Amino acid sequence: MRRVAVTGLGPVSSIGTGVAAFSAGLREGRSGISEITSFDASRFPYRNAGEVPDFDAAALLRRLDPAEWGRSSQLAAAAARLAATDGGFDADAPDPDRVGAVIGTTSGESVVMEQLTAQITDAGFATMDPALLAMLPAHRLAHAVSAELGLAGESVTMATACSASNYALGYAYDLIATGQAEVMFAGGADSVCRWAHAGFFRLGALTASACTPFDRDRSGILTGEGGAVLMLEELGRAQARGALIYAEVLGYGLNCDAKHPVAPDGPSIAECMRIAHRSADIKPSDVDYICAHGTGTPANDAMEAAAIAEVFGAVPPPVSSIKSMIGHTMGAASGFGAIATSLAIHQGFLPPTINWANADPAFPGLDPVPNVARPATVRVAQNNGFAFGGNNAITLFGAAA
Amino acid sequence: MTGLVITGWSELIPPVDPAADAAGLFDEPLPAARAAALVDFDVRAHLGRKGTSFYDRATALAVVACAAALRDSGIVVDEVGSARVGVVLGTTVGSFKSTSDFSRETLVQDKPYLVNPVLFPNTVMNCAAGQAAIRLGLRGVNATIAGGRLAMHQTLRYAVNALSRSTTEVLLVGAAEEFSPHRAWNGYRSGTDVGEGAAIFVVERADAPRHASPPVAALLGVASGFGWREAAPAALAGCVRRALAAAEVEPSMVDLVATSAAGSGPDSEYAVAVDVLGRSPEHLAVGQLLGECDAATGALGLAALLHRLRAEPTAVAVLTARTPDGGAAAAVLRGVP
Repeated sequence: MRRVAVTGLGPVSSIGTGVAAFSAGLREGRSGISEITSFDASRFPYRNAGEVPDFDAAALLRRLDPAEWGRSSQLAAAAARLAATDGGFDADAPDPDRVGAVIGTTSGESVVMEQLTAQITDAGFATMDPALLAMLPAHRLAHAVSAELGLAGESVTMATACSASNYALGYAYDLIATGQAEVMFAGGADSVCRWAHAGFFRLGALTASACTPFDRDRSGILTGEGGAVLMLEELGRAQARGALIYAEVLGYGLNCDAKHPVAPDGPSIAECMRIAHRSADIKPSDVDYICAHGTGTPANDAMEAAAIAEVFGAVPPPVSSIKSMIGHTMGAASGFGAIATSLAIHQGFLPPTINWANADPAFPGLDPVPNVARPATVRVAQNNGFAFGGNNAITLFGAAA
Repeated sequence: MTGLVITGWSELIPPVDPAADAAGLFDEPLPAARAAALVDFDVRAHLGRKGTSFYDRATALAVVACAAALRDSGIVVDEVGSARVGVVLGTTVGSFKSTSDFSRETLVQDKPYLVNPVLFPNTVMNCAAGQAAIRLGLRGVNATIAGGRLAMHQTLRYAVNALSRSTTEVLLVGAAEEFSPHRAWNGYRSGTDVGEGAAIFVVERADAPRHASPPVAALLGVASGFGWREAAPAALAGCVRRALAAAEVEPSMVDLVATSAAGSGPDSEYAVAVDVLGRSPEHLAVGQLLGECDAATGALGLAALLHRLRAEPTAVAVLTARTPDGGAAAAVLRGVP
């Protein structure tokens, strides 16, 4: 089986766009949470989210005209462009049909959906704008990446909700490992939207202003947005061209709770971790860091901590949640987790869980890397992603040998 | 060779000649009363009331079709093991109606957050696959691919990989697309009639101990790719070539070309395939029999093709698809005598 390297990183996030800014944000424990400006939130009880208000698609994209693409496609394509530039991707490389894109998302072109809904509500179905209708299909997120980078290989949008980036990374890893592709751009994108803000609020899963994962008093998520794309490449190819290798993809695991549309299931999550460990051919004791799903809801963090304790024992490796900084970026979340994990391995630090104040007595052995990033040697790291629909997906990364 | 076989399938297909009167299905106006819609479809008649009351139409169609495909294959999930059976569904935007209706509540309610939280999961595109897993007890690989008209090919590609790289042994693969005012008016704005339907296929590895009835067809090769604007025909040609190569099928062996679009003019799917094959096999326009069915287009097209392959099991068929946005795909299938 061929080995797969991470050779380019493309974060477009509320704590920084591009590797340098994002990495600095993680190290500083920066908060990307701000008052919502993308829609009128004045009549909502909670009005904060992890928007990327300074996202400038035109400045980042070289081929796509932003006017023809929805915000999520723009975020995906911009993140992919950053990853390609960071990774030194040569668009004129041979075999363009062996270079592809797999992009995960929860809500696809949610902003376009809301614009169309406003038209329907204001003046009826017949007034829907055909240009917006053309932007609506979610396959356009992956297609935007392919068009921006001139890729002829597989162009797939994984719509497995909030673990979708890990699904995308797992599939891209397999395509390279089995010799079906040479380079893949994989990750995810989503946009802040009114309906998700309302939906999470009514589920009782939204918090007011600070997301506090693994804290005793945690009270929910903040919705977030962004684009997170990694350039994955066959290891020998990366070595031959002298590429900087952030990390190696060691494997991944998927399973499905088959129990409840929204509630997580601890035993199923633990089983997903074991599947991922078998795929990567590692033992729990090999793992130096867990980049948690860590949404900050009472239910998720309790289930996740219990699953970690079940698999790793009483003293698991440090577990932090970057959602404390950037909010829950939905389909991009495990893509940001994968970027943070790759940086943790390459630069030797653990991203912190910010806003953390009180240990939860329910998980005494858990070290959330509270508030301040920490230097550490990370040889193997686990990146968790869970989702509505019981779609669990976990990726594993290792230091480049 | 992909090494996969189709060992059962289901299809939910509305009448088209004449199309049904869909005017009574929704409170909202429709651009035309007649539509290729399953007007008598009632999820409770298939699955009962329990657990189905918050299904939207797209989810209901998908779950009913998944259950029917399993029945057709003779597979009993508990005998295979629930962790070894999974589902890979295609979609376009999930349910346009469910998502837009939910979003609409945030505009029309006195308090914009007074949405019904029970309906929130219906706005997420993996809703149908998650509900199919809950209903049928499927704990194996569970994926949703937003492929639009490429959804059938892309879910098959994903299934080929998942069945060789995971412990999942049986996958339900296909798509459902619902009729709704939202999709009907979307079609109206672009001058097309939209339909609805679902088709789900039970897919297993040919070399694994099979759990189902004898195979109906073999999936010999499948490829998908991308070509933006002027590169679109070359992208489809590349997919046909790669699918043929994976299938180890020579152009001279191809008996049928089944396309997602009806035309056969320059740069049409059929013309691109003919160009690659160097000959002109019979053309079956399987994709538009019910009008525009978006993500279900390929699934319904594959079902139509399987009827033909069952009657003519030695025939080799190329099944093509593409999106208006640059996506392209091709598969090679053969009946099983």
